[in-house]
Amino acid sequence: MISRDTLQPGDFFELLKRSGYRLDSPVPAGQPDSRFKMPEATTVLAFHYRGGVIVAGDRRATAGNSIMYDRCDKVIPIDDYSLMAIAGVPATAFEMARILSHNFEYYRRSQMQLMSTEGKIRALSKLLKENVGMALQGVGAVSPIFATFDLATGKPSISFYDLLGAQFKVLTHTATGSGSPMIRGILEHENLWGSQALEARSEEEAATLALRLLATAAQFDSATGGARPEENLFPVIAVITGQGYRFLTDEEIAVLYKTSITRG
Amino acid sequence: MFEEPFRWMEAISTRHSYVREKLRKGQPVIGVPYDEGALLLGFAPQPGKVFEVYDRIAMGALGHPADVERLRMTLLDMAHLEGFNRSAEDVTIGRLLQFGIAPAIKQNFEEVMRAPYLVQLLLAEISPRDETLFYRLNYDGYWESFTKGCVIAGDTQVMNRIEKEIDATPFATYPLERALYEACRLWERGLRATEEETSSNHESDKDEDAPPTLKEAFERWPLEAAVLSRKTTRKSLYRALAPGEIGALKTRLAGA
Repeated sequence: MISRDTLQPGDFFELLKRSGYRLDSPVPAGQPDSRFKMPEATTVLAFHYRGGVIVAGDRRATAGNSIMYDRCDKVIPIDDYSLMAIAGVPATAFEMARILSHNFEYYRRSQMQLMSTEGKIRALSKLLKENVGMALQGVGAVSPIFATFDLATGKPSISFYDLLGAQFKVLTHTATGSGSPMIRGILEHENLWGSQALEARSEEEAATLALRLLATAAQFDSATGGARPEENLFPVIAVITGQGYRFLTDEEIAVLYKTSITRG
Repeated sequence: MFEEPFRWMEAISTRHSYVREKLRKGQPVIGVPYDEGALLLGFAPQPGKVFEVYDRIAMGALGHPADVERLRMTLLDMAHLEGFNRSAEDVTIGRLLQFGIAPAIKQNFEEVMRAPYLVQLLLAEISPRDETLFYRLNYDGYWESFTKGCVIAGDTQVMNRIEKEIDATPFATYPLERALYEACRLWERGLRATEEETSSNHESDKDEDAPPTLKEAFERWPLEAAVLSRKTTRKSLYRALAPGEIGALKTRLAGA
């Protein structure tokens, strides 16, 4: 067990592979069974604000016309400074988040330095590329947003990806999932002609906008879940600053919800 | 060579002597509890004395840097694979040692045609039940567990002396600054008392490399120190002490 005859580049995914793990499952050739419905659909978004970046998502998981779960956490901590917002098949997305989280921590501990922001962004791209087969067969597509804070430059960063693993760094805002077309135009409008640009807004203003955007998406997209304050069910909202990530508590969001959703 | 049991036992005995001699000048690493968790510290002639292993596990080491690195990476691999395949709560030092590296090190040590590991490890853990636990792993695979803290040192006399003092000191009630200060003082007392004892018994055995004072140790080597803190809001409880914290300790020690 202690014989280690290969150099260790600090890549946890390579270590997993050497241990017999594979992210993609072998799927028989041919068309996938259309009767088999995967839980999916979502609205997640991220944008820059004055203090860093804000990442938010609804809580609903659906399979076809069925609502499978209404308390799904789609904004997942990866390391102290990084969050991944997931849209697509949860099984694959959660697995990717777990691999990524272990990958960053394994790299930091084994190499005794933080992975660069570029390296973190690429690591998720690599996982998506490994998953192309499953995505093309219609049973494992994931469309994530990755947000992190670059300690070296002191700046936050947001990237989104396509199903094949291409990465796109955004300077303002992004959204993904089935409800995202309903809110992308609003984000752009708010950024260009709103009371102030997104990056000039305070944390409270940014969180308010995120809540309103998710409520809008829920209004038009059946696969995006709305808030149910009477059941203490709210969207997930998190921020990343130079001090790391922080999830807004349900109590904070409940207060915000009262003042931001109902027309006063 | 090994056709008789005696030959094998003789070879093992020689191997013990060889490893102990190689480790003799290894700088001690001290692990003690404090009121928020566990503190590990040691002077590092080469960088690499105190390490993070997993969310709730830290490690101190002395010995050959290549062997330390090999065991560190083995522990990292095992801990991360286990944490990924099961849960972070399933990653405990007890399991890593008992079912992982301790049997492998023992086997390696007893295969006398293979080079032995020149290493001693000190491991600290905040358990899932929030207990502060310490473990010492010897070069031959033998390991022990402690609750009041423990020490590894190349010199057995130094190790025993410091360990007695750890047992008699209520470290678990101290805040971090005091635990750090007292552990450094303990390091100095352990080394100096042993050195004085040795030099009075055998003048020729006096070890001129042993630092007699903390001031000289700080001038010669960096102090590596880290904590596992139950109070952090982060997933990983490990935190290396900042240069400012080490600087404050030096100032306090200089004024004492």
